[in-house]
Amino acid sequence: MKSKILNGATLALFLGAALTLGINTSAYSAERTIHIAGFGVKTGVVRSFGINTEAVLKAAVLHVNSTGGVKLADGATGKFKLTFYDDRCKAEEGISVVRRIAGTAAVIAIGPTCSNVAEPLFGILQKKRGDASDSGLQMPIFTDTAIKGGLAKISDWAFRNVPNEANMYKALFKWLRTEHPDLKTVFGGVEQDFAHSRFTWHKVMKVSAPAAGYKLVGEAKWLLADTSFTTQVRAMKKAKADIISISSHPFTTCGLLKEMKRQRVKPKLIVGLTSSSSMETLQGCGKAAEGIIIPTSFAPVTDAARFAAKKTAEQGGSTDLHSASAWENVMIVKQVIEANGIEAKPDTVQADRGKIRDGLAALKTTKGLIGTIKRTAEGEADKPFVYAHAKNSQWAVLHDPAK
Amino acid sequence: MDFELYEIIQAFGDGVMKGSTYALLGIGFTLIFGVMQKINMSFGAVSISGAYASLTASILFPEVNAFVVFGASIIFAGIIGYVVYLCCFKWIPLANPLATLMATIGMLFFLEEVTVHATAGMPQPYPAMPYDEYFEFGQYSIRGDLVAIFLLCLIATAILLFMLYRTRLGIATRAVAQQPIAARLAGISIEKTNATTFIITGLIGGLAGAMIASTVSILSVLFFLPYTVKGLIVTVIGGLGSIPGAIVAGLLVGGLEEVALLLRGILERDIYIMLLLFLFLTFRPGGIFSNSFQRD
Repeated sequence: MKSKILNGATLALFLGAALTLGINTSAYSAERTIHIAGFGVKTGVVRSFGINTEAVLKAAVLHVNSTGGVKLADGATGKFKLTFYDDRCKAEEGISVVRRIAGTAAVIAIGPTCSNVAEPLFGILQKKRGDASDSGLQMPIFTDTAIKGGLAKISDWAFRNVPNEANMYKALFKWLRTEHPDLKTVFGGVEQDFAHSRFTWHKVMKVSAPAAGYKLVGEAKWLLADTSFTTQVRAMKKAKADIISISSHPFTTCGLLKEMKRQRVKPKLIVGLTSSSSMETLQGCGKAAEGIIIPTSFAPVTDAARFAAKKTAEQGGSTDLHSASAWENVMIVKQVIEANGIEAKPDTVQADRGKIRDGLAALKTTKGLIGTIKRTAEGEADKPFVYAHAKNSQWAVLHDPAK
Repeated sequence: MDFELYEIIQAFGDGVMKGSTYALLGIGFTLIFGVMQKINMSFGAVSISGAYASLTASILFPEVNAFVVFGASIIFAGIIGYVVYLCCFKWIPLANPLATLMATIGMLFFLEEVTVHATAGMPQPYPAMPYDEYFEFGQYSIRGDLVAIFLLCLIATAILLFMLYRTRLGIATRAVAQQPIAARLAGISIEKTNATTFIITGLIGGLAGAMIASTVSILSVLFFLPYTVKGLIVTVIGGLGSIPGAIVAGLLVGGLEEVALLLRGILERDIYIMLLLFLFLTFRPGGIFSNSFQRD
């Protein structure tokens, strides 16, 4: 009797183990996890950027996974698993985070938020693909937010899907010149201690405006944490420019616009920085910002853009020209994985990373939320854009240069 | 670039108006130093946190008058000031001067990070001073709201000075500042006086925080560190422990900042203020006015 019970138990154990193994084996071959990492700022004063990026990434991953997942090289289905890291918008933290990501099974990292992180971070990546003498990290980084111009060329492993501000402002000033031929002069304002705004004024707006035929009649500078703009606005008033071109983020843009209103400085047009085309500006100074024109690579003008915005809102974030790129990045990564024989097995992590890098480098165009994105040989994007303007405390599309 | 004299005078005037908030911050730092001989590095953060907390008033009652929000800022900062006293001074051994200093630095970053998390770092709209007129007198002009802020700060300072020199609480505060042992022998509770001083400085800080936010009608977590530094500079230039010094230094620093901005640009503005600080530390370490009361 005792031996019968023992035999029965052994058989049950054997069957159980066999069934479990069988289920696991079939699951292993049918569905695999593709680890991807996201990183950006989630602490400090620019935390909202990271929060939005994470929400967009979560929404995009959820969307991919719920619509069939990703087809892997051997026919198995892959499901994305996202891990998001906080780099605190600090270069050393960003580098440390990416080194940590490189030690995981993540096949790609999407981030960072800040240009001051992206620039040194790209410097620790292998400069030339396949250069055995270069011991730099071999980890594909696909940036969604850090917007300072020309960073991807630092490494063959760095790619960006951020708007090309040089093209955007060149086109905008040219269009303004055609639409308002009576306007002749531009006065610039710049938030001097922030990499993006400084770069955009000095290297983009200040170059694009004269190229379109405008005369620069002065510039005023302030800092990110400034609360008084009286002296700067007095200089604007004195210059009597037709257009005021402001390269600053929402907080100081609002402070400046309010001071302009107070001092009754009424230029015929105001042009703003891409990053100010957010709800933050309208919440902070909707009335004072009325009429400001900003080129942006995201607006809910297509079904895809509206869908992404809706799904992101469900994750507690909002889509703007920065965070929307994260959605596109996930879709591009899916496309690259499916086209380049990625296996997503524990022993193919490094090989998969290399294939993804090569796949990203080979892309000539990708599908974006508001149109087709062109890819450059340097790993940068040339994204479609529209001109938005603030109207009744809402952003509305003023003109679509593609039409 | 050439500037006319009126532009320099105008810039100085604008800065002096703005400097009234610096003066309030300086008074807060100086009061605590005067009474406890300790620097409270979190005072600027208390001021801004009070202003942030007062936003609950405008969230709960969206149509509420701006002055109610300012009042809430004063009260909340008073409460936070007391919490800072408990956490960074009362429960920490005062014999170790570094312990309280480090605790207040920690509190500064704690308050900042709590605010960042509560607001996701997003700037929050803040009620502006209702008097948003802009007065022009020939070549000169002045912001109505800055005049109102300036007057409010003067009134607050007058109330504080009255309290310090004409009430029993003020006498106790000054007694503890000058002769703590004698004050204790005279029956004055040093702990109670210290706690009261923290609450009072919190109230002043709350007003400063509200006024800083109302000048731009936005409250940002970016304010925490710069206003801490400004408050400290004003306190040192004014002379640690000197209230009249803090007032004059606040107005002076505000005025010079704007003149430096006009003449030398934004990138050099703070250099001249730091240079001024260095000059004071070297040639006049006692500040604009020498300290009228010192411990033995």
